[in-house]
Amino acid sequence: MIQVENITKKYGDFTAVDNINFEIDEGEIVGFLGPNGAGKSTTMNMITGFIEPSLGKIFIDGYDISKKPKKAKRQIGYMPEGVPLYSDLTVKEFVTYMAELKGVNKKDKKANVQKVIKDTGLEDVQNKLIRNLSRGYKQRVSMAGALVNNPKVIILDEPTVGLDPKQVTEIRALIKELGKEHTVILSSHILSEVSQICNRVIIINKGKIVAIDTPENLERKVVKGNAIHVTVEDPENKMETIKEKLNNVQDISLIAENDDKTKKYMIIASEEVDLRKSIFETFAKEGITIFEMKKVNATLEEAFMELINNENEKNSDIKADETIEKETTEENNIEVQDEKETEEVNESEEKENEDVQESEMKENKETVEEPIETEKKEEKKTETNKIEQHDEQEKKEKGGENNVGSL
Amino acid sequence: MWAVYKKELKSYFLSPIGYVVIGVLLFVCAVFFYLTTISYGSIDLGGLYFYAALYGFMIVIPILTMRMFAEERKNGTEQLILTSPVSMVGVVIGKFLAAMSVIFITLLISFIYFGIMSYFGSPNIKVLLVAMLGFLLISGSAISFGMFASSITENQIIAGIITITFLVMSLFVPDLGKGFPDIAIINLYQKFPSGVISLTELVGTISFAIMFIAFTIIVMQRRKLVK
Repeated sequence: MIQVENITKKYGDFTAVDNINFEIDEGEIVGFLGPNGAGKSTTMNMITGFIEPSLGKIFIDGYDISKKPKKAKRQIGYMPEGVPLYSDLTVKEFVTYMAELKGVNKKDKKANVQKVIKDTGLEDVQNKLIRNLSRGYKQRVSMAGALVNNPKVIILDEPTVGLDPKQVTEIRALIKELGKEHTVILSSHILSEVSQICNRVIIINKGKIVAIDTPENLERKVVKGNAIHVTVEDPENKMETIKEKLNNVQDISLIAENDDKTKKYMIIASEEVDLRKSIFETFAKEGITIFEMKKVNATLEEAFMELINNENEKNSDIKADETIEKETTEENNIEVQDEKETEEVNESEEKENEDVQESEMKENKETVEEPIETEKKEEKKTETNKIEQHDEQEKKEKGGENNVGSL
Repeated sequence: MWAVYKKELKSYFLSPIGYVVIGVLLFVCAVFFYLTTISYGSIDLGGLYFYAALYGFMIVIPILTMRMFAEERKNGTEQLILTSPVSMVGVVIGKFLAAMSVIFITLLISFIYFGIMSYFGSPNIKVLLVAMLGFLLISGSAISFGMFASSITENQIIAGIITITFLVMSLFVPDLGKGFPDIAIINLYQKFPSGVISLTELVGTISFAIMFIAFTIIVMQRRKLVK
């Protein structure tokens, strides 16, 4: 459906997208993933024909976007980043205008407009001015505009940014629904979203593709060992000797001591076995009370971080190798400074993460289907912690790299 | 093209711009209707349109054209247009015609003056129609320039100022020396007001408009390369 062949986009000396290749089949939902400034939007803009690539070719349904733009663009419905809309039109007027721009037949126009307005849940506001709508509705209006000509390919740039939790779930459901009949490409920096919706993930960093795979495969790649987290109340300190009473245990380590005198341990199994049953039984015999027990799953977050991390390390290794030994002490100082400098940036990023996290927690509370609420929260926390840690680490590395470069 | 035309024309009248343009232009017409006909006891309406073009355009054309592309670029809505299966030529001409239509509506309303004159005497309708045709042509030139100014910046104010500067120059051109008269587009509206169809002015205005429409198209098409 979409073939992207060796595309590169340069702005002066800066390469925003560097020799990217991929193919997307009909009916797939593909997610573009990457940190800010990775080249997601640039790539999408090139696929939609908004920007011309410096090098390379893009085919939409067999049509070259730069040679046969009209035919290629007819296959695409695009929802740009930041949802640009004509604020002085009503919802219906806007969607009708988009239908006309996209050359929808006069006969089908009315029916198509009504259908997308219904599908995107805009019926109640269809005669309101777009200016007066909330962000969530604007997002949907933009989506309706993208869908109105029933395109084969739907491209959504950050479709859930700035929405409240209910809207996020609705939009995700809508995207999934769309994926049944259309090829969907979406970009996001929210990983859980991508792993929920997409069949395939394309991870981009610094203009290059780091990985293309299914979310499951990516997660599997980073799973290390077979670990279980347990939170226990252990007044007689039996945890120290419990290792001998359990089979297949490689290591037990204390992670945290909580204020309520419970302790959190990580138990790593030596083989691919599920330890939970034997832990439960043995601990009960020993009089250790289990407050919480959870299998540690690698998430897409970790896969993502690891992939991007590797990429950064490679780059910094090449540059830093020669100088790094001499300048170790100096560099340490620099690192500390950098950390301070990047703290602010980190904070804002953290906030964003927290927002998402919070909203997802609310979702969990609302739906009664999730009985293990605390467990979820816990998981989320560890995830975000990891991101934060990673962010710091990454910043340090970047800082280090830059400084070495300038020394 | 017609989709863009319809939407643009609608936008002019959804915002105050359309009404302001028509109102101001009619006001200028009214002032010069008094100054050039009533006060002289003349029934010649040519002067009215000449002065309306000379002074009215300075205010009206920038208002009409400054947002055309600058606003779309600033709001990002140009992405919607550029990723739709429409040609840039169609978009630019659609917008141009929409602005022309606003001027055309004003012209239709300005038949009032002809009506008033008819009450007192018998003005020549053919002379009036020629003057109006010339007015439309000269407004086409001015609008095409304003549109071009709007396409090269994302700041509406800057686009407006460029257009005003260009139009105001008409006033000072006689003082600038012999080499400059061609810059003033008002020089292409000298014979039409008196009811003479001048080939020079006809070709001049039309080619001026085509040139700047073409420039606008080129600017917009180059956008996807440099963006």
